[in-house]
Amino acid sequence: MNEKDIKLTMRLKESVGDPSFTGPILLDVKSTQFVRVNMLLLKALSNENGRSGMFISVDRPHQYMVHLLTMHQINVQGLIFVDAISQFSADCKQAQANVSFVDGPFHIDDLPGAIKEWTLKANGGSIDLKGCAFAMIDNLAALLTYNSFSSVESFLHDFVNVLSMNGRIAIPLVVDKERNQALYEMARAICKREVNVNETPTGLPDADMERRSRRISEGCFNGVSH
Amino acid sequence: MEKDSSKKRPDLVRLTSGIPGLDDMIEGGFPFPSVILVAGPAGTGKTTFALKYLCEGAKKGEQGLYFTTLSEPTQWMLRYASQFDFMDQGYFNDEIVYMDLGAMIRDTKPSELMSIIEEKIAEVVPQRIVIDPITVIGGMMKGDYRQFLFDLSNRLKNWNATTLVTGEVNPGELYPTEISYAVDGIILLMLSEEMGARRKYLEVLKMRGTNHQTGKQSIDISRREGIVVLKARF
Repeated sequence: MNEKDIKLTMRLKESVGDPSFTGPILLDVKSTQFVRVNMLLLKALSNENGRSGMFISVDRPHQYMVHLLTMHQINVQGLIFVDAISQFSADCKQAQANVSFVDGPFHIDDLPGAIKEWTLKANGGSIDLKGCAFAMIDNLAALLTYNSFSSVESFLHDFVNVLSMNGRIAIPLVVDKERNQALYEMARAICKREVNVNETPTGLPDADMERRSRRISEGCFNGVSH
Repeated sequence: MEKDSSKKRPDLVRLTSGIPGLDDMIEGGFPFPSVILVAGPAGTGKTTFALKYLCEGAKKGEQGLYFTTLSEPTQWMLRYASQFDFMDQGYFNDEIVYMDLGAMIRDTKPSELMSIIEEKIAEVVPQRIVIDPITVIGGMMKGDYRQFLFDLSNRLKNWNATTLVTGEVNPGELYPTEISYAVDGIILLMLSEEMGARRKYLEVLKMRGTNHQTGKQSIDISRREGIVVLKARF
């Protein structure tokens, strides 16, 4: 994890994780950065606070996130994975995790009902959501490949309602505003807070500026300033 | 009833190549994630192409990962690459991480090599990856190279990166055929002898999910910009 990642984790922790935020929160993230931001979100939400959560995999099999989290020493034990894509991926990658598989990413509007059922069966069922402090989806835009816009809208409303019934739970929704304006607006309508993750805390988002500021701080460290 | 166009399925995410003139030929850039083969004989600019692609990402804040299979120390790679104006040496080991696979390819089983590659990807979390050249692996690998390529391509995409693999071709060959079925795009770099001079061309042979321009385009390799597609610029 580099300096940029550490800064972003701190920012996410302030926005989403500390103090504990509940309900849906919208994060504007570039599509190419979804994996990295999801990883850092999980670090901010689970590792730093020791909380449990649910992670729904739609865009890639859950094993990749497990591998990534393990590599970066982020708590996997406290996560419940719901994998909706593995059956379509022809992938035999191995990973140790608490996971439930669903048939596929189609008919996603049925998933909140299934989650509700799991919750009701918590004591004898496969998944206990009662201990979850957060729930994430990787990712909402990928659902549009397999479902209509109205199905995704229906899923999102029901998903937030079902999880909210289970107590104080943070639901970060990661969407690329520039690429998926309609999806972003749909999510914004139900979110209590909106965070632009494309900005850095210093307001210097591009890499050249970021590197320049790092060199300056290193210079100070080696000199007399510190 | 007319469908709301803002609610249609989103277009593919694309990464700009950094090669002037090429993005116009491929609807704005390479699909993200995908695996693209850049194939050509020696001296056609495959490594220059790959370096420009990584520098383009670094400029935009996208993390790059460069695997070399040639056992070439970073020092020598940088020395030659530094001749290009687009190369900022400060990118290396920061926005662009360099890893030498050369020593590991010989006597390594496909599954072990896959693990080494995936470990590095999980560590670096890149959006842009280069494997230069991939054809060396085929010559040295003990095991099923085709199966390895299929698994590698699938996994690279699931890591959510767009990967350029370069491939050296033998005389008379257009591209390394064993790789072509495992990749999402093929870009050919060619040499042609015309009136006593060797001219360079680029052709987009395949680009999945993309209405790409066909036919050979003249290219030039300059110190300022690296590879430039000449015809598509005007």
